[in-house]
Amino acid sequence: MDAFQGLMSGFQVAFSIEGILFVFIGVFVGTFIGMMPGLGPISAIAIMIPITYSMDPTVALVMMAGVYYGAIFGGSSSSILLNAPGVAGTVATAFDGYPMAQQGKAGKALAIAAIASFTGGTVSVILLMLFTPILSAVAVSFGPAEYFALMFMGLTAISSLSDGSTIKAFISATLGFIVVTIGIDSQTGTSRFTFGNPNLLEGIDFLVIALGLFALAEVSTLVLNRKDNSMSDNKEIGSLRLSKQDVKEMSGPMTRQSFLGFLIGVLPGAGATIASFIAYITEKKLAKNPEEFGKGSIKGLAAPETANNAATGGAFVPLLSLGIPGSGTTAVLLGAFLVLGVQPGPLLIQDRPEVFWGIIASMYIGNIFLLILNLPLIPYIARVLRIPRPLLISLVIIFSLIGVYAISFNTFDLYMLVAFGIIGFLMRMFSFPAAPFILAFILGGMMEQAFRQTLTISNGSLAIFLDKPIALTLIIVSLLTILVPMFTGRKKLSAKNDTGKPL
Amino acid sequence: MKKFLATAAAFTMLIAAGCSNQSSGDGNATGENGEWKPTKPIEITAPAGPGGGWDTTARMASQVFEQEKIIDKRLPVVNKAGGGGAIGWAYIAGKKDSEHNMFVASPPLLLVPLNGQSEYGYEDFTPLANVIADYGAFVVKAEAKWNNLNDLFEDMKKDPASVSVIGTSSPGSMDHMQFVKIAKAAGVDVTKIKYISDPDAGGLTAVLNGSVDVYTTGVAETIEQVKAGKIKVLGITSEERLEGEVLSDFQTAKEQGIDETFVNWRGFFGPPGMDPAAVKYYEEKFKELSDSPAWDEIRKKYGWGELYMDSEEYSEFLKTEAEDMQNLLEELGLSR
Repeated sequence: MDAFQGLMSGFQVAFSIEGILFVFIGVFVGTFIGMMPGLGPISAIAIMIPITYSMDPTVALVMMAGVYYGAIFGGSSSSILLNAPGVAGTVATAFDGYPMAQQGKAGKALAIAAIASFTGGTVSVILLMLFTPILSAVAVSFGPAEYFALMFMGLTAISSLSDGSTIKAFISATLGFIVVTIGIDSQTGTSRFTFGNPNLLEGIDFLVIALGLFALAEVSTLVLNRKDNSMSDNKEIGSLRLSKQDVKEMSGPMTRQSFLGFLIGVLPGAGATIASFIAYITEKKLAKNPEEFGKGSIKGLAAPETANNAATGGAFVPLLSLGIPGSGTTAVLLGAFLVLGVQPGPLLIQDRPEVFWGIIASMYIGNIFLLILNLPLIPYIARVLRIPRPLLISLVIIFSLIGVYAISFNTFDLYMLVAFGIIGFLMRMFSFPAAPFILAFILGGMMEQAFRQTLTISNGSLAIFLDKPIALTLIIVSLLTILVPMFTGRKKLSAKNDTGKPL
Repeated sequence: MKKFLATAAAFTMLIAAGCSNQSSGDGNATGENGEWKPTKPIEITAPAGPGGGWDTTARMASQVFEQEKIIDKRLPVVNKAGGGGAIGWAYIAGKKDSEHNMFVASPPLLLVPLNGQSEYGYEDFTPLANVIADYGAFVVKAEAKWNNLNDLFEDMKKDPASVSVIGTSSPGSMDHMQFVKIAKAAGVDVTKIKYISDPDAGGLTAVLNGSVDVYTTGVAETIEQVKAGKIKVLGITSEERLEGEVLSDFQTAKEQGIDETFVNWRGFFGPPGMDPAAVKYYEEKFKELSDSPAWDEIRKKYGWGELYMDSEEYSEFLKTEAEDMQNLLEELGLSR
């Protein structure tokens, strides 16, 4: 297949007036929805489907794809400014983005996020264009055993997500594990910890927890410290300018995470959220000064922002080349494809090249639009911080409530949100980090499921992990990352003892 | 822009309609000759989040009703997600006697209550009409050693635990039950079937990479992969062969000598105690919908089969289905 010719025909669609207009509408709506805490691309796309019914399929799909990656792009703003993740994929963005904004560098943080998002998005489109047919094999290479190993690797990072006590990080993670077991157990169909309440049967939505533990907990702290002027002075947006030093610091994580994020995005079920966490963790491990992470590190902001956008591109590989949706949003997108009479799958490139290449070409343009749309708007978006504090606090609460209600249109979720807000606040008061809770919640559910699926397949034998090369490698790497620091740490300690007084 | 204006206008009318209704009481407009007509917008509940099968069916039905002017009132779709449907069902149960509410349902309406996860079941609601039928397909990788259901079930009869089966839903619900129903008819010890659930829709992936042997799913989902030669369909659960490219090649379980079927029906229900005159009205409107070319087009796009049943036929059908499921679940030890 002549990919170049295909891409050219794709650009023809994407560069038509209609194409450009609808890419713009898509990314604009996406950015906007992404910025609103809780409102996600899933409902936006589902609502758009009937509207696009009579449109040209390529144009309609280009627009809906734009909503998808636009939302991940825009989601960083509320994470950075308000500590309220706009979409699930931008939770990790808040870890360093919010401290930066608190230090009066909101403009810079938003600029870094925009550039990192743009880089991740663009690199992933290039990879998508070049390797989709090859990568479709990667997408199906992961079975339950491999997923378990991947999640296991993610979990080795729990202790690194804490800047204080490791024990507290583990306690927080344990809470995350406990909460994720609530609901119907997928492997037996039994309900666990639901106490007969049907509202709990499907478990607790990730955004309820993220908004509770981050946004509401933050708001409570602000209310408590309202007399403390040192905090309210930080209304400075700061310069957007990035120094050479900043760019140098960003470039490493951006390059690495563009590729890693893309690869994780390719795996069905992993997606932007997991990619951003793994990016954050790997960069912290690689960094020379990991203690800066969580306190406004440029690397810690650039890494998840690159990875989540790269993962969105990656998610199109299984969707377009196999017809396998890797996440809730891509599942809805798959539905949109079907309504418009386009069947994604192994035959899409042959049967409907204009759709396949049109979407890819439009993503180049979409990413450029997003950058143009976001960079000049930064001073205006950042002005959110100048809103008088009492008003801002009320707004964050309102948006969190609306966002959560929009997930299920169920008032029960609002009580859960408040409950997690209180838990988050208490965790803060006693300095338990919230990040390990979130990480355990995201990875724990998939990990348990994958583990039990694996054991059902193997009739209960753990030896199955030894038979799978990918799984085995991942597990060995994870064990090394746990064990090696323990030994080197001991050496350092004994080295210190040598120089100090004899024991 | 035009479209936007039209939507805005429709929206204004909707609000106006809602207001005028409040003043005229709760519009129960059963006429003197026993005829009933809606007097305000009809709310269709999808007991799940946006994007899934229920939501899609509800939105498409609403669209065809409005655009083809089959019903001259608006039909907004409302999502009530949670509890595998239980939250939405409880919501509708609370709309007792309302003639302007309905919801979309499929086999989980029978299975979830039988699994003990909803206090409301199909008997609590008023069946209006069934509109769609989907069928199950049992899929293996193209290189697999089995070529038809009998090959597979022969192996499973010898050692049920030698074959792993994956589906999207949890044990005791649709993907699992459609496989169990057919396997039982073929003489497999269904209590020993190794069933794995993957709610993140990883079933197809697991079969493609060889982690799991058999994938139990809906017919429509298999077409592309069959065309590309990556998987083969051992059998489907319909009564007769289906129509359409690729679809018509799929052998039914019946023609392979296994006398059993499974229908993934999808239809609409009203709240408890709906006025019979209103039921009659909806029955006719759904018939009109089912026969319309616009709906036919939607069915083709999604790969849904046609299966219209009026309220009475539907009730009978549901009764036998529920009994079948109850017996199977009891045998599996999943009934609560």
